[in-house]
Amino acid sequence: MRIRDLRLRVQALFFPRRAERDLNDELTFHIEREARKYVDAGVDPTDARVRARANFGPMTRAAETCRDIRGISIVDTMIRDVAYALRTIRRAPTVALTIVGTISLGLGLIAAAFTIFAATVLRVDAVRDPGSLLSVRRAVAPVPAAGAQVVPKLTRRQFDALRRDSSALADAFASVPDITSRIDGRMMEGQLVTGNFFQVLDVRAAIGRTLTPDDDRPAGRRVIVLSHKAWSRLFANDPDIVGRRVLIRAQPYEVVGVAPEDFYGLNAFSPDYWAPLSLVGQIRPWLAGHEDDTAVDVVARLAPGVSIAAAREALHAWALRDGSGVQIDAQPLDRAVRFSASTLLTFAPLFIAFGLIVLTGCANVANLLLARAVTRQREIGIRLSIGASRARIVRQLLTESLMLAVAAAACGLVLSRVILNVAVSALTRTMPPELIEFLRLDVPHLDWRVVAFLVIAAVASTVAFGLLPALYATRLDLVRAVRGEAVAAGRPGRLRGALMLVQVTAATLLLICAAIFLRSAMHASALDPGLRMHDTVTIEIPNDTLRPQMIAAVDADPSVEAIAGSWPTPPPLGRPPSATASTSDGSVARVTYRVVTPSYFDVLGIGILRGRTFTDDETRAGGGVAMISEVLARKLWPDGNALGRVLQLNPDSDPDAGHRALDRLTQHHRQQEPGLSSPPVLIVGVTRAVAGLRIGEPEADVYVPSGIGTPRMDLIARVQGDPDDARRALLQRLSSIDPNMGQVFTMRSLARLETYPLRVGFWLTIVLGVLALALTLSGIFSVLSYLVAQRSKEIGIRIALGATAAGVGRLIVADSMRTVCWGMAIGSGLAVGLARLIAVASAGTRLGPIVDLFDPLAYVGSVMTVASACALAALSPARRASCVDPIATLRQE
Amino acid sequence: MTRLSTPDILQGTLDLLILRTLQTEPMHGWAISDRIQQISQDVLQVNQGSLYPALHRLEHRGWIEAEWGISELGRRAKFYRLTASGRKQLAVEASEWERMATAISRVMKLA
Repeated sequence: MRIRDLRLRVQALFFPRRAERDLNDELTFHIEREARKYVDAGVDPTDARVRARANFGPMTRAAETCRDIRGISIVDTMIRDVAYALRTIRRAPTVALTIVGTISLGLGLIAAAFTIFAATVLRVDAVRDPGSLLSVRRAVAPVPAAGAQVVPKLTRRQFDALRRDSSALADAFASVPDITSRIDGRMMEGQLVTGNFFQVLDVRAAIGRTLTPDDDRPAGRRVIVLSHKAWSRLFANDPDIVGRRVLIRAQPYEVVGVAPEDFYGLNAFSPDYWAPLSLVGQIRPWLAGHEDDTAVDVVARLAPGVSIAAAREALHAWALRDGSGVQIDAQPLDRAVRFSASTLLTFAPLFIAFGLIVLTGCANVANLLLARAVTRQREIGIRLSIGASRARIVRQLLTESLMLAVAAAACGLVLSRVILNVAVSALTRTMPPELIEFLRLDVPHLDWRVVAFLVIAAVASTVAFGLLPALYATRLDLVRAVRGEAVAAGRPGRLRGALMLVQVTAATLLLICAAIFLRSAMHASALDPGLRMHDTVTIEIPNDTLRPQMIAAVDADPSVEAIAGSWPTPPPLGRPPSATASTSDGSVARVTYRVVTPSYFDVLGIGILRGRTFTDDETRAGGGVAMISEVLARKLWPDGNALGRVLQLNPDSDPDAGHRALDRLTQHHRQQEPGLSSPPVLIVGVTRAVAGLRIGEPEADVYVPSGIGTPRMDLIARVQGDPDDARRALLQRLSSIDPNMGQVFTMRSLARLETYPLRVGFWLTIVLGVLALALTLSGIFSVLSYLVAQRSKEIGIRIALGATAAGVGRLIVADSMRTVCWGMAIGSGLAVGLARLIAVASAGTRLGPIVDLFDPLAYVGSVMTVASACALAALSPARRASCVDPIATLRQE
Repeated sequence: MTRLSTPDILQGTLDLLILRTLQTEPMHGWAISDRIQQISQDVLQVNQGSLYPALHRLEHRGWIEAEWGISELGRRAKFYRLTASGRKQLAVEASEWERMATAISRVMKLA
C-alpha cells in the first residue's frame, strides 16, 4: 500500500503532464457519459451537455481537490507559483526592481550593523564552559569625596591570597590589559596574565606552547604567546615563529607559541600577545619592585557544583577573614562583559537608526504592493471566481513576495559588505594618524550568522509587508472586481496613513539627531581649550635609561622650537593626581597637581597672570615652590593676593600604583625636611584657568617644578610647519635611538578627537536621515499620485461642478499633510524623550558638556526641512489633480 | 433536480459505497455514481465534485486500482477495480456500518 502510494506520487511528480491529461480525460469522460444518458432519454444534445455540466458542478475545483490528493500538490503548486511569479515580475520589472532595491538597501544597512555586532558581542571565545567563569572585583564602596572615582582593583597580592584560600573557586587567573608598547616600530597591545591563564580557560596553542605557571615565577621568563591576529598581521603567518625574539621596552622576549584563531583572551578585540604577569615590572618600570601591588582584573572558575550565590558568600567570608577591608563582588563573566550597559548603549542606537531605515523602506514597498493589489484586483477576482481558493491566491502572492525577499537578501548581503568597506576606509582616511596605529580597523569576516540574520530579516520584512496587501487583495467583491471596477479602498487608506506616519516620524527623528550632532561639533570646535594645541606635539619616553639621548634628539630636531616636560602625561590625556591642600589660615581644598618644567606654560600657551614661572634653580633643588591656577587662588585667598602665601600639599594615597612615581619625584623634598609628611610650598605664580578639552581630563590646579630629566616625564614640543610632518620626523629620529619608544601625538589630533565622534555621528545620521527622507518623499509622491489616478472621476465631477484648482489640490493633499504633521510631532517627541533618557543615563553626564541634547535650533531646523520637503513632494500630484479635464474623465465612463 | 430531498452522503460512507459497488466488477467513475443512484432508487445522489477526489484517495490508499480501458462509448476511460486489501477494508467497513445501522434502528424503535 505504501509502495503503491509512493508509485502514484512519483508518477505524478515526474510525469505531471500525463497525470494532468489523465485527470482531464477522466473528468470530461464523466460529463460526456452523463450527457449521453440524457441524449438516450431523448434530450437535445446541446441541452444534455449543459445539464451534464451543471450536474457536475465546478470542474476546476474537483480537479484541484484531486491534485491535492496526489500529495505532490505542494511541490507542484510551488513550481506553478514560482513560474507565475516570474511572469508577473517580468511583466512589471520596475516594480520588482524598486522593491528589491528598497528592501536590500535597508537590509544592507542593518546587516552591516549586525556584522559588527556578531563579530564583537555575539562572539564566544573558544574556552571550556564559559558559563562557569566569574569576574571577581572589588565592590564599589560609597565614595565620600565627590567627583569621578575609579573603582579600585584587586592587587596581585590579594589575588594570590584569594586563589590560595578560596575553596568555592576551582581556579582563578589575573590579568592586566591594554599594555601598549612600540615593538619593532609597531604599536602592539599586550595582556599580562598569570601563568595559569591558558590552563584555567583550557586553551591549547595552535603552534608551540601556551604560558605555564613556571613562566610566571617572580622575575619570570621573558616569553610571550602571540594571538592569531598578531601572528597573521604582524608576522605574516610565519610558520617558524616559535623561538623568534622580539624587543619589548628594549628587552628581548621569546615567542613560545601562537594562540588559536577563535581565542581573543575573553576580550572584544584580541590583544597581540600574552606575557607572564610577573614581568610587569619590566614592561611598566615604575612597578618594578612593587609587582605585588599591581592592580589586576581577576577571573575565576566556579568549583563544580558551587552556585554563584555560594561563591559570593565564600568570597565575602574570605574578605572578612583576610581583614584587608576589601569588599569582593563576583559576577558571571558573560553579563559583566558582553551585555554591559555600555555595549548595549553602543549598539542600540545603531540598530534603531538602521531599523528605522528598514521600516521606511518596507512602508514604501507595502504602499507599492497595496497600490498594485488594487490594480491586480481584476486578475485576482477572475481567478477567485473560476474556482481558486483564497488560500491558494494568498499562497501565490506570498511566493511572489518570498522570491523578492531572496533577491533582496542577496543584494543586501553584497550591499552590507560594500557599506562596511566604505565605512572602514572612510574612517581610516579621516581618523587622526595617531589613532589608526592603535585601532587598526578592518571589516569583520562574513559568517553564517550574518547570512542567517539577513535571510530571516528579508523573509520577515517582505512577507509581513507582502501579506497585508495579499490578504486585502483576496477580500473582494467578485462581481465588481471582474467588471474592472476598483473596489472601495477603506482599509488600505488607513494602512497607508499609518505607513506614512512611520516614515515621517523616522525621517524627522534621524534629521534631528543629525542636526544635534552637527551643531554640537560646530559649537565644540569653536571653543578655546585655553591650551596651544595647533603646533604642539607630546612625546612619551618609556625608557628612562635612554632619556638623555631622547631629549637631546628632540632638542636637535630642526622643526622643534621649544620643549617642556610634564608628569603625568600632558593634557588632555593625563589625569593629574589629586591631593589635599591646606593653607596656614586653615582653609582646605581638594586639588589636582602636575609636575612640570618651567617652560611648560610658555610651550602650551598658558598665560601667567601674576608672579613668574619657576627658575632652573628651583627645579634642581626641588625648592618648595608652586604655581596655582587663578580659580584655586580665588578660592583659597579671596582677597586676590595669593603670591607669597604658603600651601601644604598632602598627596592622596591612591590605591593605584601610579602615585609611587610621585613619591620618588617628591622624595628629595622629604629628605630636606624630615619632620614633615609633605612639603609646604611657596606660591610664586598664578596662571590663567585652563578650560581644557571637554572630553579630556581637567587640567591641574597646582604646578610643582622639576627638571626635564626627571624619570617618567613626558615631553611637549612646539614645532614649526605641519605638526603631522614633525611627528613623523620625530618618530623616525627617536625610534632609531629606542626602537621600542612610546607614543608621539600631535595635540591638534587630540583636539580633533573631541569633535571626531560628533562628526562621525553627524555623517552617519545625516546619511540615514536623508535616506529616510528620500524614501518618505517618494512614498508620499507615489501615494498621492495613486490617489489622484484613483479619484480622477470624482475630481472631474467636482471640477465640472465648479470646484477651484486650489480646492481640488487641498482635497488630495489634506489627509496626507495631516499625517505628515502628526509624524513630525511624534518624531520630535521621540527625539526629546530619547534625549531625556540619554541625559539621565550615565553616558549623559559625560556627553553633557559637549552635546546640547535639547538644542532648539536643531529641532526647528529639522522639522522645517521635513515639512518643506513633504510639501514639495505633494506639489506635483496636487497640480496634476487640479489639471484634471472633467470632460475627458467623464467620457471614460 | 431533486437535490433538496436527497441527503448528502456522509463523509466516509461514500468510500464504503464505492468499495461495495466495485465488489462485483471493475467500473469507471460515471458507472459507479450511476449504479449507486439506481440501486438506491435515486435516494442517494453522488456529488461528482466529491466522487473523483474519493476515488483518487482510495487509489492512493491502495484499496482500489485503476486501469485505462475502452468504455462503452468507445472512448478511453479509467476503470477502477477492488484490490485484495480493498476487499478486506470493505469487510471491515461493512460490518462497522452494519453495527451502526442496527444500533441506530434499535434506538429509533425502542427509545
